[in-house]
Amino acid sequence: MQHTEKTKKPTYYGWYVCAATVFIGFVAIGARNSFGVFVVPMSDEFGWNRFTISIAAALGVLVNGLSQPFMGQIFDRTGGRKLILISLMVLGGATAMLALTFHILFLAFMFGVVASMAQSGPALSNTAALMSRWFKRRRATAISINSAALSLGGMIMVPFSMYLLQATNWRTAWVGLGIVVLLSLPLAYLFIHERPSKKGLYPDGDPEPPTDAAGAPRREVTGPLEVENWRQSFKSAPIWQMAGSYFVCGTTTFVLSVHFIPFAMEDRGISGSTAATIFGYMMGLNIIGALGAGLLADKIGGTKNWLALVYLMRGTAYILLLTIDSVIGLWIFASVAGFSWVATLPLTSSLTADVYGLKALGTISGITFMFHQIGGFSSVLLAGLLFDVTGSYTLPFAIVGALLFPAALSAFTIKERKYSARYQKPVEAAPAAGD
Amino acid sequence: MVHFFTFILAHQGDAADPELVHWIKTKLDSLFGTGPWVVVALMGLVIIAIPLFIVAAYLLQGKRRSEEAATSGQVKPEKRVP
Repeated sequence: MQHTEKTKKPTYYGWYVCAATVFIGFVAIGARNSFGVFVVPMSDEFGWNRFTISIAAALGVLVNGLSQPFMGQIFDRTGGRKLILISLMVLGGATAMLALTFHILFLAFMFGVVASMAQSGPALSNTAALMSRWFKRRRATAISINSAALSLGGMIMVPFSMYLLQATNWRTAWVGLGIVVLLSLPLAYLFIHERPSKKGLYPDGDPEPPTDAAGAPRREVTGPLEVENWRQSFKSAPIWQMAGSYFVCGTTTFVLSVHFIPFAMEDRGISGSTAATIFGYMMGLNIIGALGAGLLADKIGGTKNWLALVYLMRGTAYILLLTIDSVIGLWIFASVAGFSWVATLPLTSSLTADVYGLKALGTISGITFMFHQIGGFSSVLLAGLLFDVTGSYTLPFAIVGALLFPAALSAFTIKERKYSARYQKPVEAAPAAGD
Repeated sequence: MVHFFTFILAHQGDAADPELVHWIKTKLDSLFGTGPWVVVALMGLVIIAIPLFIVAAYLLQGKRRSEEAATSGQVKPEKRVP
């Protein structure tokens, strides 16, 4: 008798890997973003001024940005599992050890060097590369879920640190944060695995691919630009188009992260709490934007078109910000810009994987992320400088906002159909001689 | 130079912008209206619940995985982990 009863399929293992990386990203970025909460109590105890404590933070930003390509290379060579496990151990330990701070040099070394370098291990450039191994059809969706975790980490972990600090003291709060980071270790150990083949699975949980006429499994579809090492990728146009637009992404998000609230208060004359409410609303929307971008790119296709649209939306938001001189203008700006805030991340990461393949993806993503950080860094300096000269944020915002339109064009002109593995036809095995 | 370091400090805590942090704290204070320990406990529970939920979801699907492995006649490699 034939057994006809159908059982529900279990959830694809890749989603557990995705969930684990979400939690890892959540605590790692949360612990890092919480640094700001500790500035006042630590400065008060040791008599440091803001400039002094900023040196530790500055070193952290520099080390974190510069170490990403190297961590990416380790990811490509030794795999994500080892890298993420070791990085989490170091990050958790270093965060807890910040409780022992007795001198600014200790803080600079432990936070600025050790913790910041360790934070590059489970950074999104690497977890996105890991997701790209586990997912193919739903790659952008999986990466977008990871991206949204970054925002969530800031939104939950920072207030958590704040209240922990209020309930205890800064030393205990650092230990608490370290423990939270270490909490993610068992999850990483249990669920982070390199690729689906290690679990006897195929990307996306798809069934075994069909065989060709000779009975051999079909070769995996790859794009014409798939690379063995990162250097090869920089000899082609798409990486420059993506890195260039990603640079602009960095300039336009960082500048607002730092200067939006002062702009709203000083240029638009609204209260600090209203400015913060608008900024918080915008940060909340970015989670929806990130998730939506990934889903749409996977469902409808044309990742580069969505990427171009996101830059276009942000450019429009900048125009609205500068032209509507009222609180309503700020709310409209936040509504439009909020959706585009993190959406570039899953789209750029998944497109990079689709075009250049997986072999050097960690390094390539690390380098493009560095472009993003350099863009952010320089724009904030420029904005500060121009504010000092002109007494207003209008000019710096107009300059960085204007860059979004060439960025949109750069993304739109990527030849995705020609280079992306998604659009390549499966290659049939060549018939043997004499067939 | 001053702007450079001010930026670093501000960026170091994107979500920890002083105005934003103050706003979040005010909202949470009005929401809970209790001492900091209650908020720490509640948020701590949320943080701990996430990994527990993931592990529970995986374990709850153990039967489905066994059934699928049996129907496809495969040796289930996932059995080893976790």
